[in-house]
Amino acid sequence: MEVQRLKTDVVVIGGGGAACRAAIEAAVIGSDVVMLDKGRPGRSGATPCALWSIQAPFGPRGRDERDTPQQFFEDMVKAGHFIGDQNIVEVVAFNACDRILDMERYGVHFKKEDDGRFYQTPMPGQTYPRSCFMIENGQHMSTILAKEVTRHDNIKVYKDFFAYWLLKSRGSVVGVVGIDMINGQIIVINAKSTIVATGGYTSLWGFSDNPPTLTGDGNAMAYRAGADLVDLEFNQYYGTDVIWPPSVRGSVVLYELMIDEFADGEITDKDGVPIINKPLPIRDEAIKTIFNVIKAGRGTPHGGVYFDTTKSPKGEDAVREVFKTMTPKHYQFLIDAAGLDLAKTPLEVAPASHYQCGGIYINEKGQTTINGLYSCGEAAGNFQGANRLAGSALCDTQTTGAAAGGTAARDCAKRDLIPVDQKDLNSAIEMITRITKNKSNKIKPLVVKEGILKIMDECIAPYRNEEGMLKGLSNLQDIKKDLENLYAPDINKYNLELSEAIEAKLMIETAELTFGSALFRKESRGHHNRTDYPVEDDKNWRCHTIVKDKNGKPDYSKRDVIYTLLKPQDVK
Amino acid sequence: MAKNKIQAKILRFDPDKDEKSYFQDYTIETDRSVTIHELLTMIRRDLDGTLAFRTYKCYKGMCQTCVVKLDGVVVKSCATQVMPDTEIRLEPAGGGDVIRDLVVDFKAM
Repeated sequence: MEVQRLKTDVVVIGGGGAACRAAIEAAVIGSDVVMLDKGRPGRSGATPCALWSIQAPFGPRGRDERDTPQQFFEDMVKAGHFIGDQNIVEVVAFNACDRILDMERYGVHFKKEDDGRFYQTPMPGQTYPRSCFMIENGQHMSTILAKEVTRHDNIKVYKDFFAYWLLKSRGSVVGVVGIDMINGQIIVINAKSTIVATGGYTSLWGFSDNPPTLTGDGNAMAYRAGADLVDLEFNQYYGTDVIWPPSVRGSVVLYELMIDEFADGEITDKDGVPIINKPLPIRDEAIKTIFNVIKAGRGTPHGGVYFDTTKSPKGEDAVREVFKTMTPKHYQFLIDAAGLDLAKTPLEVAPASHYQCGGIYINEKGQTTINGLYSCGEAAGNFQGANRLAGSALCDTQTTGAAAGGTAARDCAKRDLIPVDQKDLNSAIEMITRITKNKSNKIKPLVVKEGILKIMDECIAPYRNEEGMLKGLSNLQDIKKDLENLYAPDINKYNLELSEAIEAKLMIETAELTFGSALFRKESRGHHNRTDYPVEDDKNWRCHTIVKDKNGKPDYSKRDVIYTLLKPQDVK
Repeated sequence: MAKNKIQAKILRFDPDKDEKSYFQDYTIETDRSVTIHELLTMIRRDLDGTLAFRTYKCYKGMCQTCVVKLDGVVVKSCATQVMPDTEIRLEPAGGGDVIRDLVVDFKAM
């Protein structure tokens, strides 16, 4: 295998909303930037899967003049059960409007009122309607951001690039190693600043509404490089993802559309009895209700509940119009891929893995606990808290993305490029050759990956307990043995088997840390529900769970949440 | 229970070792209609791990990275169903050089 080396100021790992925004910010400041996209720019990551909703407190420039950044801040802190670090929540809440105006400047189309104000929809947990409406949803946003990236000559983009190893030298992260899938070359990028914007690890679960590429590579890499990870137990599920038929399993349909302003339908049990009251609750509460109904034996044939708009007082045509206007692609996809018309047929839906509130520990500037390493967006961890509001994910990509990109670029001026440690690089390359050169290996990476997904689905669903998680951990140990015998053909171009083999190794790491964090937190809060510790225990657990590598083993500890504008004792 | 079959002819090409592309036949057993994306995943999992195609899913038939040519027509593999008991032909979608098999280095993205 050929090894190619290059040097740059800033390397951004990822290709979604946060990665693009970080790359743009660093480029504007004047850094030379390399951006590494696991797929095709504008088409990969979770951003293209997102719907219309991006939160920003436009107040008089939007739907409700009473809305303010302070109110957004407060809503986010409360929804997160006071586990979000408020220095970072401030960055999100107080910069959201500016970042959305940036997006508009790049060319993203937002729906507007006749007088030019932002059209905004209400979502559960927002004191005032705050979700700006992107016509054509997240796919449009990612395409435009990717286009904006190409306008900067100082950003070089690698497409179909699988990054898998953060390079460490003299205590700092000094870049990244990856495989250019187009030609099979190993590429070593030596950088002054490295930004992990790889998104969440939703696709560690088999039943997920995110793209299968979201395996948490960045989290595992950062952990291996010695960075602190935080709150990995807050795995957000989304309540209503299609569970049947298999061709559209995991496709998201929005329960937020059930309000009377939109489709005015109901989430029901198998007998058609509505189970979620209006006004609609925020996500962690909605999911608990759905789970309890399924657990009580009131679920549909395939283990879900019904998403039913067929009895809406608005009538079929009006409901169809809502879906076509609000989520046009999703609506059409269900018709094309499964012959299902959402306006005419009740769909079987169930909670699926949707977002990671936890991730890499950062500060308000996007710096991690390791010199030279930065993170933003869903890959970063300590600002959502225990639950995330609708419309926050996209907003965070832009606010934290710009913060991390800016800091990474400015820090470049303060440091010299630290050369790559050859021994470290050799280990990275050996990881590949051990898979491709060992002809006695027999096990297919895809099969190992499916094994991991099954364990996660079975043992660390939103409802979890010690017994189940210990069983899951022990099953993971069994799979770990298979990792030594993964087989991938010795093919240069688009060697999916090879990238999946490495992916599986990174996935196991993140999976174990997720189990470990969830076992560590002995309470229930937000999206972490322990049946053996069902109570939210503010006295002992209103804090972060930190995990870091200590001599090859994960070390778990608590860390205080940073409160700035709103202390828990100020509320109630 | 006897299962129905889908017969797929898939155009394969690895520029590193093949002088020209060739069709390979695969037979997949299924009782229900499957999307082309599901079909390709079944082949890769159970029959041939070397078959290359784009595995990205956006869940709304929108990202376009999974497009292939089905019987000469460009379709989204995630949103196009194939019925049991049929024969199909799959080729790369065009729009750029073939990296390998069904994976195209799309010029437009």
